[in-house]
Amino acid sequence: MRAAILIAFSILLLPVIVRPTMASEIWIFAIFGLGLNLLLGYTGLLSFGQSTFFGSAAYVAGYLLKHHGINVVLALGVGAGVGALSALLVGYLCVQRSGLYFIMLTFALNQLFYFTAYQWTSVTGGEDGMPGIARPALLDDAYAFYAFVALLFVLALWAMKRIVGSPLGRILQAIRENELRAEAVGYHTARFKLGAFVIAGAFSGLAGVLYALLFGIVPLEAIGFVFSGNVVFATLIGGSGSLYGPVIGAFVFIWLSESVSTVWARWPLLLGVAFVIVVLFFRGGVVEAWSRLGSWRSSRQKTSASPSAR
Amino acid sequence: MALLETEDLRKSFGALTAVNGVSLAIEAGTLHSVIGPNGAGKTTLFNLLTGTFPPTSGKIFLEKQEITGTPAHRIAHLGLARSFQRTNLFPAFSLLDNVWVAAFARSGSWRGLAWRPAERYPELAARAGEALRDVGLEEKKHQLAREISHGEQRQLELAIALAARPRVLLLDEPAAGLSPEETRRMVALLSRLKGRYTIVLIEHKMDIIMSVSDRISVMHFGSLIAEGTPAEIQRNADVRKAYLGGVAA
Amino acid sequence: MLYALMGLGLALITGILNIPNFAHGALFAVGAYFLVSVISAVGNFWLGLLIAPLGVALLGLLVEYLGIRRLYAAGHDYQLLFTFGLALILNELIIVVWGPVGISHLPPAALRGGVDLGFTFYPKYRLFVMLMAALLVFLTWLFLEKTKYGAIMRAGIENKEMVSLLGIDIHKLFTAAFALGAYLAGIAGALTAPIRGLSPGMGVDMLGIAFVVVALGGLGNLLGAIAAGLLIGIAQAVVAAYWTEASTVVIFAVMAAVLVVRPQGLFGIR
Repeated sequence: MRAAILIAFSILLLPVIVRPTMASEIWIFAIFGLGLNLLLGYTGLLSFGQSTFFGSAAYVAGYLLKHHGINVVLALGVGAGVGALSALLVGYLCVQRSGLYFIMLTFALNQLFYFTAYQWTSVTGGEDGMPGIARPALLDDAYAFYAFVALLFVLALWAMKRIVGSPLGRILQAIRENELRAEAVGYHTARFKLGAFVIAGAFSGLAGVLYALLFGIVPLEAIGFVFSGNVVFATLIGGSGSLYGPVIGAFVFIWLSESVSTVWARWPLLLGVAFVIVVLFFRGGVVEAWSRLGSWRSSRQKTSASPSAR
Repeated sequence: MALLETEDLRKSFGALTAVNGVSLAIEAGTLHSVIGPNGAGKTTLFNLLTGTFPPTSGKIFLEKQEITGTPAHRIAHLGLARSFQRTNLFPAFSLLDNVWVAAFARSGSWRGLAWRPAERYPELAARAGEALRDVGLEEKKHQLAREISHGEQRQLELAIALAARPRVLLLDEPAAGLSPEETRRMVALLSRLKGRYTIVLIEHKMDIIMSVSDRISVMHFGSLIAEGTPAEIQRNADVRKAYLGGVAA
Repeated sequence: MLYALMGLGLALITGILNIPNFAHGALFAVGAYFLVSVISAVGNFWLGLLIAPLGVALLGLLVEYLGIRRLYAAGHDYQLLFTFGLALILNELIIVVWGPVGISHLPPAALRGGVDLGFTFYPKYRLFVMLMAALLVFLTWLFLEKTKYGAIMRAGIENKEMVSLLGIDIHKLFTAAFALGAYLAGIAGALTAPIRGLSPGMGVDMLGIAFVVVALGGLGNLLGAIAAGLLIGIAQAVVAAYWTEASTVVIFAVMAAVLVVRPQGLFGIR
């Protein structure tokens, strides 16, 4: 309940504090992160190629919006669908492997899509990206679009909450905890992992279409590995152990990257340094640090610990 | 009637033959133990029965239907449940959730799989609670699996197998690492379960084996060297030789 | 051939250290840029070829010692983030030090021009690179197969606990393996510099290819990485002759195709 209030507040206050474009970007990135975290935090799969689904959806939906003038809702549906479909393909190849191999495969397949987008300039525009994606008149105003994005974020968050609270959520976590046992107990783990992929892909695809609509362009980077790395970083920084971690991570990441990139073109250098520092010193992310702070405070006050709800 | 049977089961890993032509018949409702010195191939036999890997040759039958080569995730749905030699739990889950997940897999219908809150499955919660009660862990059901003692974890290990409402329980050294007091409790538990399930038991502790088994099969270097009632096995010279003249305590 | 070199280096690192090294491409790029700097300092290509990869190996050593060493227990996600961050840092530093524009660098005088192979005129330098890379792969293979240290490394891929139980300092093994992998990446980069010129993004492209090579060759399989590298290189050359744009994509497509049929790669064990 507290989280819901906090989120509601943030949604209302954010466009006041920052530019509505950046505010929209935060929620879009949060949707992206929610999808990834189903794989990373809940199933224990480090997918380092989420931009495949994000970018593919953005390109396909963007193309349809630009050249065929489809309406926005259809574009979103197409985006989620393309994200899910590409995730099905990629996931099918990847779930058969685990550990290091899995990570490398998700990356390599991401590169496949990236180079295809890079070379297929007639459709994707290659390095220049796919510009000219227009929003319908209703959403043309930055604030109106923000409201639209925020609404979709709330829907996405609610959907993800239902999913992780459902038996599927439990099963995925069981796979993370002990895949061998999950299999022995009767779950076709590869199929469930693939399912998680598809759901994550759909979320990523949705985020991708919104991103294209927000900026009016699908840049090549949207399907590149740096993008994939960013969402992993944001999720880890927010804390992959909770539902809201990716949301917090989105805040931190977008705010940081937007602020610094205007100051210095070599911003990725600082990003890299940030990655390194976080990894070496701040594992567990914000959410864990927060709950550690909380339990430290409550042990100081000698109150009895309440069982933590998942 | 033989509920679970194997016919000349063989498993080789390259040059090493871990299971060498084992033919077993487990009668329904009995507790059938498989014993033998370390390395005799007992756990490999279990792995074959539960589909962890397929046999090199030979057949496995459940109620006269051949199930050879069924993969691990389908075995549970055929009614075989297994506990592991090295505790194999879901550490970050509560005890209730550990058992719940196993119960859900066998609940027949997966309605609401990705949608219904997991708390809203009363039948499953009841079944999970029942499994925990059977092993005596019900009061601790909200504790995390990684926080309970080793003995309790072995009990949870069993409860997970029970939650699947199996016909056959394959228990791999359930008393491993237990104190004498905990061992006594495990024996009492096994005796309670004996009538309700068909049990195949691997154990090293002879007092357990002798007190609960209806039949015992003895393996040595992958082959079956003897089979019979506890009394017959105790008298068997080959068995004594295999264990190098002593009875493992 | 270069792909085999890169693949071998990466396979070594992933096999022994069991971490995803996303900085491997950046090390490749650093090797190339180091070469350029050394040459502008001393004026000799050969000296540059000698020193630059050592510089990269040293860098690798430092990175392992200061950073990666702390992360072995941390889990792949953090290792990934670390090497990824490192790649970003290196890429950006390259831009800071050498500028964002590509540099072109001619091969040394001795190796300019072409060789008449009868059916085609082949650039001398490329021939040199091929031979050099083949030599390096061969030497590395020799080291791994025939020497004691190589045997230790190979054992480390199979079973780390055994190696440490045998009294060998596992940390030194890891550092050495990473440094060797970095060296191979560095010299691959240095060799490439005169062929296609340098640009800050050269590491990124190579990274993907290196990963493909390792994935195809079967994780931890050094010989497999070499074979896969050769295969990929040949495949790309063939495709480039007919359909230049698709030449990079085809590498990944081949990998995907192979993995559908054989999830363990060409030479991996299931």
